[in-house]
Amino acid sequence: MSKILELKDLTIKFGGLTAVNHLNMHLEEGEALGLIGPNGAGKTTAFNLIVGVYQPTSGKVLFNSEDITGLKPYQVCHKGIGRTFQVVKPFGNMTVEQNIMVGAFAKTSSPRGARQIASNIMEKVGLQAKKNVLAHNLTIPERKRLEMAKALATNPQLLLLDEVLAGLNPTELEEAIKLIKSINEDGITIMMIEHVLQATMAICSRIVVLDYGRKIAEGSPQEVTSNPEVIKAYLGDEYDND
Amino acid sequence: MKFDKKLLLLIGLVVILLLVPMMVTRPYFLHVIIMCLLWAYLASSWNIIGGFAGQLSLGHGIYTATGAYVTMMLFNTFGISPWLGLFVGGAAAVLISVLIGFPTFGLRGAYYALATVAISEGIVVIINSTHELGPFSVGGAEGLIVKMVGDSAAALQFSSKIPYYYLILFMLFLVIAVSYWIKTSKLGYCLIALKEDEDAAAAMGINVRNNKLIAAMISAFMTALGGVFYAVLIRYLEPNAIAGGSMSTQMVFLSIVGGSGTILGPVIGGILLSLISEVIRFYLGGQLMGLHLFIYGVIVLLVIMYQPRGIVALLGQIVQRFSGPKTVEGGVSGVKDSGA
Repeated sequence: MSKILELKDLTIKFGGLTAVNHLNMHLEEGEALGLIGPNGAGKTTAFNLIVGVYQPTSGKVLFNSEDITGLKPYQVCHKGIGRTFQVVKPFGNMTVEQNIMVGAFAKTSSPRGARQIASNIMEKVGLQAKKNVLAHNLTIPERKRLEMAKALATNPQLLLLDEVLAGLNPTELEEAIKLIKSINEDGITIMMIEHVLQATMAICSRIVVLDYGRKIAEGSPQEVTSNPEVIKAYLGDEYDND
Repeated sequence: MKFDKKLLLLIGLVVILLLVPMMVTRPYFLHVIIMCLLWAYLASSWNIIGGFAGQLSLGHGIYTATGAYVTMMLFNTFGISPWLGLFVGGAAAVLISVLIGFPTFGLRGAYYALATVAISEGIVVIINSTHELGPFSVGGAEGLIVKMVGDSAAALQFSSKIPYYYLILFMLFLVIAVSYWIKTSKLGYCLIALKEDEDAAAAMGINVRNNKLIAAMISAFMTALGGVFYAVLIRYLEPNAIAGGSMSTQMVFLSIVGGSGTILGPVIGGILLSLISEVIRFYLGGQLMGLHLFIYGVIVLLVIMYQPRGIVALLGQIVQRFSGPKTVEGGVSGVKDSGA
Protein backbone atom coordinates (compact mmCIF):
# COMPACT_ATOMS: atom_id res chain seq x y z
CA MET A 1 0.00 0.00 0.00
CA SER A 2 1.13 3.50 -0.70
CA LYS A 3 0.21 6.81 0.81
CA ILE A 4 -2.49 8.47 -1.27
CA LEU A 5 -2.72 11.62 0.85
CA GLU A 6 -0.23 13.20 3.21
CA LEU A 7 -0.66 16.30 5.31
CA LYS A 8 2.65 17.76 6.44
CA ASP A 9 2.67 20.22 9.30
CA LEU A 10 -0.53 21.77 7.96
CA THR A 11 -1.44 25.01 9.76
CA ILE A 12 -3.96 27.76 9.13
CA LYS A 13 -4.56 30.85 11.20
CA PHE A 14 -7.65 33.05 10.96
CA GLY A 15 -6.45 36.22 12.67
CA GLY A 16 -5.54 35.08 16.20
CA LEU A 17 -7.27 31.71 15.90
CA THR A 18 -5.25 28.72 14.83
CA ALA A 19 -7.97 26.52 13.33
CA VAL A 20 -5.63 23.73 12.25
CA ASN A 21 -2.37 23.46 14.15
CA HIS A 22 0.64 21.56 12.74
CA LEU A 23 -1.46 18.67 11.53
CA ASN A 24 0.52 15.65 10.34
CA MET A 25 -1.37 12.68 9.05
CA HIS A 26 -1.71 10.42 6.03
CA LEU A 27 -4.11 8.08 4.28
CA GLU A 28 -3.22 4.72 2.81
CA GLU A 29 -4.58 3.93 -0.61
CA GLY A 30 -7.90 2.11 -0.31
CA GLU A 31 -8.47 2.65 3.39
CA ALA A 32 -11.37 4.36 5.13
CA LEU A 33 -10.35 6.87 7.75
CA GLY A 34 -12.56 8.71 10.20
CA LEU A 35 -11.82 12.24 11.33
CA ILE A 36 -13.59 13.02 14.58
CA GLY A 37 -13.47 15.68 17.25
CA PRO A 38 -15.70 18.08 19.16
CA ASN A 39 -17.43 20.95 17.39
CA GLY A 40 -14.97 23.59 16.26
CA ALA A 41 -12.03 21.19 16.35
CA GLY A 42 -11.04 22.11 12.78
CA LYS A 43 -12.27 19.03 10.90
CA THR A 44 -14.08 20.83 8.12
CA THR A 45 -11.28 23.39 7.94
CA ALA A 46 -8.86 20.51 7.36
CA PHE A 47 -11.07 19.35 4.47
CA ASN A 48 -11.14 22.83 3.03
CA LEU A 49 -7.34 22.99 3.23
CA ILE A 50 -7.00 19.70 1.36
CA VAL A 51 -9.30 20.73 -1.50
CA GLY A 52 -7.95 24.26 -1.81
CA VAL A 53 -10.86 26.33 -0.50
CA TYR A 54 -8.37 27.77 2.03
CA GLN A 55 -4.65 28.23 1.49
CA PRO A 56 -2.62 27.03 4.51
CA THR A 57 -0.55 29.49 6.52
CA SER A 58 2.19 26.86 6.45
CA GLY A 59 2.57 23.18 5.65
CA LYS A 60 1.88 21.01 2.65
CA VAL A 61 -0.73 18.75 1.13
CA LEU A 62 0.63 15.83 -0.91
CA PHE A 63 -1.68 13.76 -3.11
CA ASN A 64 -0.07 10.68 -4.67
CA SER A 65 3.26 12.23 -3.60
CA GLU A 66 2.50 15.35 -5.66
CA ASP A 67 2.38 18.72 -3.93
CA ILE A 68 -1.15 20.07 -4.46
CA THR A 69 -0.90 22.91 -1.92
CA GLY A 70 -2.20 26.14 -3.43
CA LEU A 71 -4.25 24.55 -6.21
CA LYS A 72 -7.80 25.84 -6.72
CA PRO A 73 -10.76 23.60 -5.77
CA TYR A 74 -11.60 22.81 -9.41
CA GLN A 75 -7.99 21.76 -10.04
CA VAL A 76 -7.94 19.56 -6.95
CA CYS A 77 -11.11 17.92 -8.22
CA HIS A 78 -9.41 17.14 -11.55
CA LYS A 79 -6.47 15.61 -9.63
CA GLY A 80 -8.92 13.05 -8.24
CA ILE A 81 -10.28 14.29 -4.91
CA GLY A 82 -14.05 14.53 -4.52
CA ARG A 83 -15.75 16.16 -1.56
CA THR A 84 -19.21 16.59 -0.10
CA PHE A 85 -20.39 19.57 1.90
CA GLN A 86 -21.58 19.45 5.50
CA VAL A 87 -24.47 21.69 4.53
CA VAL A 88 -25.52 19.89 1.36
CA LYS A 89 -25.35 21.94 -1.80
CA PRO A 90 -27.67 20.45 -4.41
CA PHE A 91 -28.26 22.41 -7.61
CA GLY A 92 -31.89 22.91 -6.62
CA ASN A 93 -33.35 23.80 -10.00
CA MET A 94 -31.70 20.93 -11.83
CA THR A 95 -32.96 17.35 -11.82
CA VAL A 96 -31.11 14.63 -9.95
CA GLU A 97 -29.74 13.32 -13.23
CA GLN A 98 -28.53 16.77 -14.30
CA ASN A 99 -26.92 17.34 -10.90
CA ILE A 100 -24.87 14.19 -11.29
CA MET A 101 -24.09 14.92 -14.94
CA VAL A 102 -22.38 18.15 -13.87
CA GLY A 103 -19.90 16.04 -11.92
CA ALA A 104 -19.46 13.62 -14.80
CA PHE A 105 -18.45 16.51 -17.08
CA ALA A 106 -15.20 16.64 -15.12
CA LYS A 107 -14.18 13.55 -17.06
CA THR A 108 -16.06 13.81 -20.35
CA SER A 109 -17.27 16.56 -22.66
CA SER A 110 -20.09 14.64 -24.28
CA PRO A 111 -23.57 14.97 -22.76
CA ARG A 112 -24.29 11.40 -23.79
CA GLY A 113 -21.24 10.14 -21.92
CA ALA A 114 -22.14 12.20 -18.88
CA ARG A 115 -25.69 10.83 -18.94
CA GLN A 116 -24.31 7.29 -19.02
CA ILE A 117 -22.03 7.94 -16.04
CA ALA A 118 -24.92 9.57 -14.16
CA SER A 119 -27.09 6.56 -14.85
CA ASN A 120 -24.48 4.18 -13.39
CA ILE A 121 -24.07 6.32 -10.30
CA MET A 122 -27.80 6.71 -9.70
CA GLU A 123 -27.98 2.94 -9.76
CA LYS A 124 -25.13 2.73 -7.26
CA VAL A 125 -26.55 5.19 -4.74
CA GLY A 126 -30.20 4.25 -5.29
CA LEU A 127 -31.53 7.44 -6.83
CA GLN A 128 -32.64 5.89 -10.12
CA ALA A 129 -36.32 6.44 -9.28
CA LYS A 130 -35.69 10.13 -8.58
CA LYS A 131 -33.93 10.71 -11.89
CA ASN A 132 -36.21 13.50 -13.12
CA VAL A 133 -37.03 15.10 -9.77
CA LEU A 134 -35.75 18.61 -9.15
CA ALA A 135 -33.12 18.48 -6.43
CA HIS A 136 -34.90 20.98 -4.20
CA ASN A 137 -37.81 18.56 -3.96
CA LEU A 138 -35.68 15.80 -2.42
CA THR A 139 -35.85 14.71 1.22
CA ILE A 140 -32.83 15.18 3.49
CA PRO A 141 -31.55 11.59 3.20
CA GLU A 142 -31.97 11.78 -0.58
CA ARG A 143 -30.06 15.05 -0.67
CA LYS A 144 -27.19 13.43 1.22
CA ARG A 145 -27.18 10.60 -1.29
CA LEU A 146 -27.19 13.11 -4.13
CA GLU A 147 -24.28 14.92 -2.49
CA MET A 148 -22.27 11.70 -2.55
CA ALA A 149 -23.42 10.88 -6.07
CA LYS A 150 -22.23 14.27 -7.34
CA ALA A 151 -18.80 13.76 -5.81
CA LEU A 152 -18.63 10.19 -7.15
CA ALA A 153 -19.48 11.38 -10.65
CA THR A 154 -16.15 13.23 -10.85
CA ASN A 155 -14.53 9.77 -10.60
CA PRO A 156 -12.34 10.46 -7.54
CA GLN A 157 -9.59 8.29 -6.12
CA LEU A 158 -10.16 9.89 -2.75
CA LEU A 159 -13.55 10.89 -1.41
CA LEU A 160 -13.93 13.35 1.46
CA LEU A 161 -17.28 12.96 3.21
CA ASP A 162 -18.33 15.75 5.56
CA GLU A 163 -21.03 14.52 7.97
CA VAL A 164 -23.07 12.65 5.39
CA LEU A 165 -24.63 10.53 8.13
CA ALA A 166 -25.87 13.34 10.38
CA GLY A 167 -29.63 13.60 10.78
CA LEU A 168 -30.49 10.15 9.41
CA ASN A 169 -32.84 7.74 11.22
CA PRO A 170 -31.55 4.24 12.11
CA THR A 171 -32.81 2.59 8.93
CA GLU A 172 -31.42 5.32 6.71
CA LEU A 173 -28.18 5.21 8.66
CA GLU A 174 -27.78 1.52 8.03
CA GLU A 175 -28.35 1.96 4.31
CA ALA A 176 -25.92 4.86 4.14
CA ILE A 177 -23.23 2.88 5.95
CA LYS A 178 -23.73 0.04 3.49
CA LEU A 179 -23.36 2.49 0.61
CA ILE A 180 -20.16 4.06 1.93
CA LYS A 181 -18.68 0.62 2.57
CA SER A 182 -19.46 -0.46 -0.97
CA ILE A 183 -17.92 2.71 -2.38
CA ASN A 184 -14.82 1.92 -0.37
CA GLU A 185 -14.83 -1.67 -1.64
CA ASP A 186 -14.86 -0.29 -5.20
CA GLY A 187 -11.37 0.97 -4.45
CA ILE A 188 -12.11 4.57 -3.55
CA THR A 189 -10.18 5.79 -0.52
CA ILE A 190 -12.45 7.46 2.01
CA MET A 191 -11.87 10.11 4.62
CA MET A 192 -14.96 10.98 6.60
CA ILE A 193 -15.85 13.54 9.21
CA GLU A 194 -18.53 12.16 11.46
CA HIS A 195 -20.16 12.73 14.81
CA VAL A 196 -22.04 9.44 14.75
CA LEU A 197 -19.29 7.41 16.39
CA GLN A 198 -20.93 4.01 15.99
CA ALA A 199 -21.18 4.54 12.26
CA THR A 200 -17.60 5.74 11.99
CA MET A 201 -16.42 2.64 13.80
CA ALA A 202 -18.47 0.43 11.50
CA ILE A 203 -16.85 1.90 8.39
CA CYS A 204 -13.36 3.05 9.31
CA SER A 205 -10.35 0.98 10.16
CA ARG A 206 -8.48 3.97 11.53
CA ILE A 207 -9.57 7.14 13.29
CA VAL A 208 -7.86 10.48 13.81
CA VAL A 209 -9.10 12.76 16.59
CA LEU A 210 -8.76 16.54 16.40
CA ASP A 211 -9.22 18.99 19.26
CA TYR A 212 -8.56 22.72 18.98
CA GLY A 213 -6.90 22.11 15.62
CA ARG A 214 -4.41 19.59 17.00
CA LYS A 215 -4.26 15.86 16.47
CA ILE A 216 -4.70 14.35 19.92
CA ALA A 217 -5.08 10.70 19.04
CA GLU A 218 -4.81 8.26 16.16
CA GLY A 219 -5.39 4.54 15.86
CA SER A 220 -8.00 1.82 15.57
CA PRO A 221 -11.52 2.66 16.76
CA GLN A 222 -10.97 0.69 19.96
CA GLU A 223 -7.68 2.42 20.76
CA VAL A 224 -9.12 5.85 20.11
CA THR A 225 -12.30 5.45 22.11
CA SER A 226 -10.42 4.20 25.15
CA ASN A 227 -7.86 6.99 24.97
CA PRO A 228 -8.26 9.21 28.07
CA GLU A 229 -7.41 12.37 26.17
CA VAL A 230 -10.17 11.71 23.67
CA ILE A 231 -12.65 11.11 26.46
CA LYS A 232 -11.52 14.36 28.06
CA ALA A 233 -11.92 16.29 24.84
CA TYR A 234 -15.44 15.01 24.33
CA LEU A 235 -16.72 15.02 27.90
CA GLY A 236 -14.53 17.59 29.68
CA ASP A 237 -12.00 17.44 32.56
CA GLU A 238 -14.57 16.63 35.23
CA TYR A 239 -15.08 13.16 33.77
CA ASP A 240 -11.97 11.78 35.56
CA ASN A 241 -13.45 12.42 39.00
CA ASP A 242 -16.39 10.14 38.41
CA MET B 1 -46.55 10.67 -32.72
CA LYS B 2 -46.00 13.44 -30.22
CA PHE B 3 -42.74 14.32 -31.89
CA ASP B 4 -44.37 14.54 -35.32
CA LYS B 5 -46.97 16.93 -33.98
CA LYS B 6 -44.26 19.11 -32.51
CA LEU B 7 -42.26 19.09 -35.71
CA LEU B 8 -45.34 19.98 -37.73
CA LEU B 9 -46.10 22.86 -35.40
CA LEU B 10 -42.54 24.11 -35.75
CA ILE B 11 -42.56 23.91 -39.54
CA GLY B 12 -45.92 25.69 -39.61
CA LEU B 13 -44.58 28.45 -37.40
CA VAL B 14 -41.49 28.92 -39.54
CA VAL B 15 -43.57 29.07 -42.74
CA ILE B 16 -45.86 31.67 -41.18
CA LEU B 17 -42.85 33.71 -40.08
CA LEU B 18 -41.38 33.52 -43.59
CA LEU B 19 -44.67 34.69 -45.11
CA VAL B 20 -45.16 37.65 -42.78
CA PRO B 21 -43.87 40.29 -45.26
CA MET B 22 -46.48 39.14 -47.78
CA MET B 23 -49.29 39.51 -45.27
CA VAL B 24 -48.12 42.73 -43.63
CA THR B 25 -47.85 45.28 -46.39
CA ARG B 26 -47.78 48.53 -44.46
CA PRO B 27 -44.12 49.45 -43.82
CA TYR B 28 -45.01 50.85 -40.39
CA PHE B 29 -46.43 47.52 -39.21
CA LEU B 30 -43.52 45.63 -40.65
CA HIS B 31 -41.17 48.01 -38.86
CA VAL B 32 -42.97 47.29 -35.57
CA ILE B 33 -42.58 43.56 -36.16
CA ILE B 34 -38.90 44.01 -37.00
CA MET B 35 -38.35 45.92 -33.76
CA CYS B 36 -40.15 43.19 -31.79
CA LEU B 37 -37.85 40.57 -33.29
CA LEU B 38 -34.81 42.76 -32.59
CA TRP B 39 -35.80 43.03 -28.92
CA ALA B 40 -36.37 39.28 -28.78
CA TYR B 41 -32.91 38.83 -30.29
CA LEU B 42 -31.26 41.22 -27.83
CA ALA B 43 -33.05 39.70 -24.83
CA SER B 44 -31.90 36.24 -25.95
CA SER B 45 -28.33 37.47 -26.30
CA TRP B 46 -28.42 38.95 -22.80
CA ASN B 47 -29.91 35.71 -21.51
CA ILE B 48 -26.70 33.80 -22.27
CA ILE B 49 -24.78 35.54 -19.50
CA GLY B 50 -27.70 36.92 -17.48
CA GLY B 51 -29.98 33.90 -17.60
CA PHE B 52 -27.92 30.76 -18.17
CA ALA B 53 -24.93 31.89 -16.09
CA GLY B 54 -27.02 34.06 -13.73
CA GLN B 55 -24.60 36.98 -13.90
CA LEU B 56 -26.64 40.17 -13.80
CA SER B 57 -25.34 42.50 -16.48
CA LEU B 58 -26.98 45.91 -16.34
CA GLY B 59 -24.77 47.35 -19.06
CA HIS B 60 -25.37 45.39 -22.23
CA GLY B 61 -25.88 48.72 -23.99
CA ILE B 62 -22.07 48.80 -24.04
CA TYR B 63 -22.06 45.96 -26.54
CA THR B 64 -24.86 47.23 -28.79
CA ALA B 65 -23.04 50.57 -28.89
CA THR B 66 -19.65 48.98 -29.53
CA GLY B 67 -20.98 46.84 -32.36
CA ALA B 68 -22.94 49.69 -33.93
CA TYR B 69 -20.34 52.43 -33.60
CA VAL B 70 -17.28 50.40 -34.61
CA THR B 71 -19.04 48.96 -37.67
CA MET B 72 -20.50 52.27 -38.77
CA MET B 73 -17.33 54.27 -38.18
CA LEU B 74 -15.45 51.80 -40.40
CA PHE B 75 -18.20 52.09 -43.00
CA ASN B 76 -18.44 55.89 -42.96
CA THR B 77 -14.70 56.50 -43.04
CA PHE B 78 -13.25 53.67 -45.11
CA GLY B 79 -16.35 52.33 -46.79
CA ILE B 80 -15.80 48.92 -45.21
CA SER B 81 -18.95 46.83 -45.64
CA PRO B 82 -20.92 46.22 -42.43
CA TRP B 83 -20.72 42.51 -43.33
CA LEU B 84 -17.00 42.69 -42.51
CA GLY B 85 -17.29 45.49 -39.97
CA LEU B 86 -19.59 43.45 -37.77
CA PHE B 87 -16.74 41.06 -37.02
CA VAL B 88 -14.54 43.95 -35.91
CA GLY B 89 -17.40 45.40 -33.86
CA GLY B 90 -18.14 41.99 -32.39
CA ALA B 91 -14.49 41.45 -31.52
CA ALA B 92 -14.32 44.84 -29.82
CA ALA B 93 -17.40 43.96 -27.75
CA VAL B 94 -15.83 40.62 -26.79
CA LEU B 95 -12.68 42.45 -25.69
CA ILE B 96 -14.68 44.82 -23.50
CA SER B 97 -16.62 41.92 -21.97
CA VAL B 98 -13.32 40.31 -20.96
CA LEU B 99 -12.03 43.58 -19.51
CA ILE B 100 -15.15 43.83 -17.34
CA GLY B 101 -15.43 40.13 -16.54
CA PHE B 102 -11.87 39.18 -15.77
CA PRO B 103 -11.44 41.26 -12.61
CA THR B 104 -15.04 40.86 -11.37
CA PHE B 105 -15.95 37.25 -12.12
CA GLY B 106 -13.65 35.98 -9.40
CA LEU B 107 -15.59 37.98 -6.81
CA ARG B 108 -18.85 37.17 -5.08
CA GLY B 109 -21.93 39.32 -4.98
CA ALA B 110 -22.88 42.39 -6.94
CA TYR B 111 -19.44 43.44 -8.20
CA TYR B 112 -20.04 42.31 -11.76
CA ALA B 113 -23.42 44.08 -11.92
CA LEU B 114 -21.88 47.24 -10.46
CA ALA B 115 -18.99 47.14 -12.91
CA THR B 116 -21.35 46.81 -15.87
CA VAL B 117 -23.40 49.81 -14.67
CA ALA B 118 -20.33 51.96 -14.08
CA ILE B 119 -18.70 51.15 -17.41
CA SER B 120 -21.89 51.59 -19.43
CA GLU B 121 -22.50 55.00 -17.84
CA GLY B 122 -18.90 55.87 -18.67
CA ILE B 123 -19.27 54.77 -22.27
CA VAL B 124 -22.36 56.95 -22.75
CA VAL B 125 -20.46 59.98 -21.46
CA ILE B 126 -17.43 59.19 -23.62
CA ILE B 127 -19.50 58.82 -26.80
CA ASN B 128 -21.49 61.96 -26.00
CA SER B 129 -18.33 64.03 -25.67
CA THR B 130 -16.22 62.51 -28.45
CA HIS B 131 -16.51 64.15 -31.87
CA GLU B 132 -13.41 62.80 -33.56
CA LEU B 133 -11.40 59.69 -32.88
CA GLY B 134 -8.32 59.59 -35.10
CA PRO B 135 -9.60 59.46 -38.69
CA PHE B 136 -13.12 58.57 -37.50
CA SER B 137 -16.00 60.89 -36.93
CA VAL B 138 -17.96 59.80 -33.85
CA GLY B 139 -20.45 62.63 -33.81
CA GLY B 140 -20.60 63.27 -30.08
CA ALA B 141 -23.97 64.10 -28.60
CA GLU B 142 -25.44 64.93 -32.02
CA GLY B 143 -25.11 61.27 -32.90
CA LEU B 144 -23.63 59.44 -35.86
CA ILE B 145 -25.44 59.48 -39.16
CA VAL B 146 -24.80 56.48 -41.36
CA LYS B 147 -23.63 57.50 -44.83
CA MET B 148 -26.33 56.75 -47.41
CA VAL B 149 -25.33 54.92 -50.56
CA GLY B 150 -28.75 53.95 -51.87
CA ASP B 151 -29.99 50.37 -52.25
CA SER B 152 -27.01 48.13 -51.67
CA ALA B 153 -26.81 44.66 -50.19
CA ALA B 154 -23.11 45.13 -49.46
CA ALA B 155 -23.84 48.19 -47.35
CA LEU B 156 -26.98 46.61 -45.89
CA GLN B 157 -29.05 49.56 -47.05
CA PHE B 158 -32.45 48.84 -48.51
CA SER B 159 -35.37 51.15 -49.22
CA SER B 160 -37.75 48.28 -48.48
CA LYS B 161 -38.21 46.91 -44.96
CA ILE B 162 -38.51 43.34 -46.19
CA PRO B 163 -34.78 42.49 -46.33
CA TYR B 164 -34.41 43.75 -42.76
CA TYR B 165 -37.24 41.50 -41.69
CA TYR B 166 -35.54 38.41 -43.10
CA LEU B 167 -32.19 39.47 -41.69
CA ILE B 168 -33.47 39.85 -38.12
CA LEU B 169 -35.51 36.66 -38.46
CA PHE B 170 -32.34 34.82 -39.42
CA MET B 171 -30.47 36.41 -36.50
CA LEU B 172 -33.23 35.34 -34.12
CA PHE B 173 -32.99 31.75 -35.38
CA LEU B 174 -29.25 31.98 -34.95
CA VAL B 175 -29.42 33.13 -31.32
CA ILE B 176 -32.01 30.44 -30.54
CA ALA B 177 -29.70 27.84 -32.09
CA VAL B 178 -26.74 29.14 -30.07
CA SER B 179 -28.85 29.11 -26.89
CA TYR B 180 -29.99 25.57 -27.61
CA TRP B 181 -26.43 24.45 -28.21
CA ILE B 182 -25.23 26.04 -24.97
CA LYS B 183 -28.09 24.65 -22.94
CA THR B 184 -27.56 21.08 -24.09
CA SER B 185 -23.77 21.09 -24.01
CA LYS B 186 -21.24 20.78 -21.20
CA LEU B 187 -20.99 24.58 -21.08
CA GLY B 188 -24.71 24.91 -20.30
CA TYR B 189 -24.59 22.41 -17.47
CA CYS B 190 -21.56 24.16 -16.01
CA LEU B 191 -23.22 27.58 -16.26
CA ILE B 192 -26.44 26.50 -14.57
CA ALA B 193 -24.45 24.68 -11.89
CA LEU B 194 -22.34 27.72 -11.07
CA LYS B 195 -25.45 29.90 -11.05
CA GLU B 196 -26.97 27.56 -8.47
CA ASP B 197 -23.91 27.25 -6.23
CA GLU B 198 -20.39 28.36 -7.06
CA ASP B 199 -18.71 26.36 -4.27
CA ALA B 200 -20.40 23.13 -5.22
CA ALA B 201 -19.64 23.77 -8.89
CA ALA B 202 -15.94 24.36 -8.14
CA ALA B 203 -15.78 21.22 -6.00
CA MET B 204 -17.04 19.29 -9.04
CA GLY B 205 -14.19 20.49 -11.19
CA ILE B 206 -15.76 23.54 -12.84
CA ASN B 207 -13.52 26.52 -13.48
CA VAL B 208 -16.09 29.09 -12.46
CA ARG B 209 -14.36 32.20 -13.76
CA ASN B 210 -13.52 30.78 -17.19
CA ASN B 211 -17.02 29.49 -17.76
CA LYS B 212 -18.49 32.87 -16.86
CA LEU B 213 -16.02 34.56 -19.20
CA ILE B 214 -16.92 32.29 -22.11
CA ALA B 215 -20.62 33.00 -21.57
CA ALA B 216 -19.94 36.74 -21.30
CA MET B 217 -17.94 36.70 -24.55
CA ILE B 218 -20.61 34.83 -26.52
CA SER B 219 -23.27 37.13 -25.10
CA ALA B 220 -21.27 40.26 -25.93
CA PHE B 221 -20.66 39.14 -29.51
CA MET B 222 -24.32 38.32 -30.13
CA THR B 223 -25.42 41.59 -28.55
CA ALA B 224 -22.97 43.54 -30.72
CA LEU B 225 -24.53 41.98 -33.83
CA GLY B 226 -27.86 43.30 -32.59
CA GLY B 227 -26.27 46.74 -32.35
CA VAL B 228 -25.05 46.49 -35.95
CA PHE B 229 -28.54 45.54 -37.08
CA TYR B 230 -29.98 48.53 -35.22
CA ALA B 231 -27.44 50.77 -36.96
CA VAL B 232 -28.26 49.60 -40.48
CA LEU B 233 -31.99 49.69 -39.79
CA ILE B 234 -32.24 53.12 -38.14
CA ARG B 235 -29.15 54.60 -39.88
CA TYR B 236 -28.68 57.05 -37.05
CA LEU B 237 -26.89 56.34 -33.78
CA GLU B 238 -27.95 58.46 -30.83
CA PRO B 239 -25.59 57.77 -27.89
CA ASN B 240 -28.29 57.61 -25.20
CA ALA B 241 -30.55 55.37 -27.28
CA ILE B 242 -27.92 52.84 -28.39
CA ALA B 243 -25.71 52.76 -25.26
CA GLY B 244 -27.87 54.24 -22.51
CA GLY B 245 -29.54 52.76 -19.49
CA SER B 246 -32.87 52.16 -21.21
CA MET B 247 -31.22 49.96 -23.84
CA SER B 248 -29.43 47.98 -21.13
CA THR B 249 -32.35 47.55 -18.76
CA GLN B 250 -34.82 46.72 -21.53
CA MET B 251 -32.84 43.58 -22.38
CA VAL B 252 -32.87 42.51 -18.73
CA PHE B 253 -36.55 43.31 -18.42
CA LEU B 254 -37.73 41.37 -21.46
CA SER B 255 -35.57 38.40 -20.60
CA ILE B 256 -36.71 38.13 -16.98
CA VAL B 257 -40.39 38.73 -17.72
CA GLY B 258 -40.25 36.19 -20.54
CA GLY B 259 -38.36 33.66 -18.43
CA SER B 260 -34.62 34.06 -18.05
CA GLY B 261 -32.46 30.96 -18.21
CA THR B 262 -34.80 29.28 -20.69
CA ILE B 263 -34.24 29.16 -24.43
CA LEU B 264 -37.59 30.54 -25.53
CA GLY B 265 -38.46 32.78 -22.56
CA PRO B 266 -36.54 35.85 -23.76
CA VAL B 267 -37.89 35.36 -27.29
CA ILE B 268 -41.48 35.26 -26.07
CA GLY B 269 -40.90 38.09 -23.61
CA GLY B 270 -39.22 40.22 -26.23
CA ILE B 271 -41.90 39.79 -28.88
CA LEU B 272 -44.91 39.95 -26.57
CA LEU B 273 -43.87 42.91 -24.43
CA SER B 274 -42.56 44.95 -27.34
CA LEU B 275 -45.81 44.33 -29.16
CA ILE B 276 -47.91 45.30 -26.14
CA SER B 277 -45.79 48.40 -25.60
CA GLU B 278 -46.19 49.40 -29.25
CA VAL B 279 -49.95 48.80 -29.30
CA ILE B 280 -50.45 50.81 -26.12
CA ARG B 281 -48.30 53.59 -27.53
CA PHE B 282 -50.22 53.55 -30.81
CA TYR B 283 -53.60 53.95 -29.14
CA LEU B 284 -52.78 55.95 -26.02
CA GLY B 285 -49.50 57.64 -26.89
CA GLY B 286 -51.08 60.93 -27.89
CA GLN B 287 -53.52 61.27 -24.99
CA LEU B 288 -51.58 61.70 -21.81
CA MET B 289 -47.81 61.96 -21.69
CA GLY B 290 -46.33 58.80 -20.21
CA LEU B 291 -49.65 56.96 -19.87
CA HIS B 292 -48.58 54.17 -22.21
CA LEU B 293 -45.39 53.65 -20.22
CA PHE B 294 -47.39 53.53 -17.01
CA ILE B 295 -49.74 50.84 -18.35
CA TYR B 296 -46.76 48.93 -19.72
CA GLY B 297 -45.17 49.08 -16.27
CA VAL B 298 -48.31 47.73 -14.62
CA ILE B 299 -48.39 44.77 -17.02
CA VAL B 300 -44.75 43.96 -16.28
CA LEU B 301 -45.47 44.27 -12.55
CA LEU B 302 -48.38 41.84 -12.78
CA VAL B 303 -46.28 39.27 -14.62
CA ILE B 304 -43.49 39.52 -12.04
CA MET B 305 -45.96 39.25 -9.15
CA TYR B 306 -48.01 36.33 -10.41
CA GLN B 307 -45.53 34.51 -12.63
CA PRO B 308 -42.03 35.23 -11.31
CA ARG B 309 -40.59 32.41 -13.42
CA GLY B 310 -41.67 34.24 -16.53
CA ILE B 311 -44.30 34.05 -19.22
CA VAL B 312 -42.73 30.88 -20.59
CA ALA B 313 -43.57 29.04 -17.35
CA LEU B 314 -47.17 30.24 -17.66
CA LEU B 315 -47.36 28.97 -21.24
CA GLY B 316 -45.82 25.71 -20.05
CA GLN B 317 -48.62 25.28 -17.52
CA ILE B 318 -51.26 25.99 -20.14
CA VAL B 319 -49.77 23.49 -22.58
CA GLN B 320 -49.55 20.95 -19.77
CA ARG B 321 -53.23 21.41 -18.94
CA PHE B 322 -54.23 20.65 -22.51
CA SER B 323 -51.80 17.89 -23.35
CA GLY B 324 -51.70 16.04 -20.04
CA PRO B 325 -48.70 15.64 -17.77
CA LYS B 326 -46.06 16.04 -20.41
CA THR B 327 -42.89 17.85 -19.47
CA VAL B 328 -42.35 21.21 -21.12
CA GLU B 329 -39.68 23.78 -20.88
CA GLY B 330 -40.21 26.24 -18.08
CA GLY B 331 -38.96 27.21 -14.69
CA VAL B 332 -35.85 29.09 -13.67
CA SER B 333 -33.50 26.88 -15.57
CA GLY B 334 -36.00 25.25 -17.83
CA VAL B 335 -35.58 21.79 -16.42
CA LYS B 336 -38.21 19.11 -16.20
CA ASP B 337 -40.23 19.27 -13.03
CA SER B 338 -41.92 15.99 -12.43
CA GLY B 339 -41.47 16.13 -8.68
CA ALA B 340 -44.25 16.94 -6.24
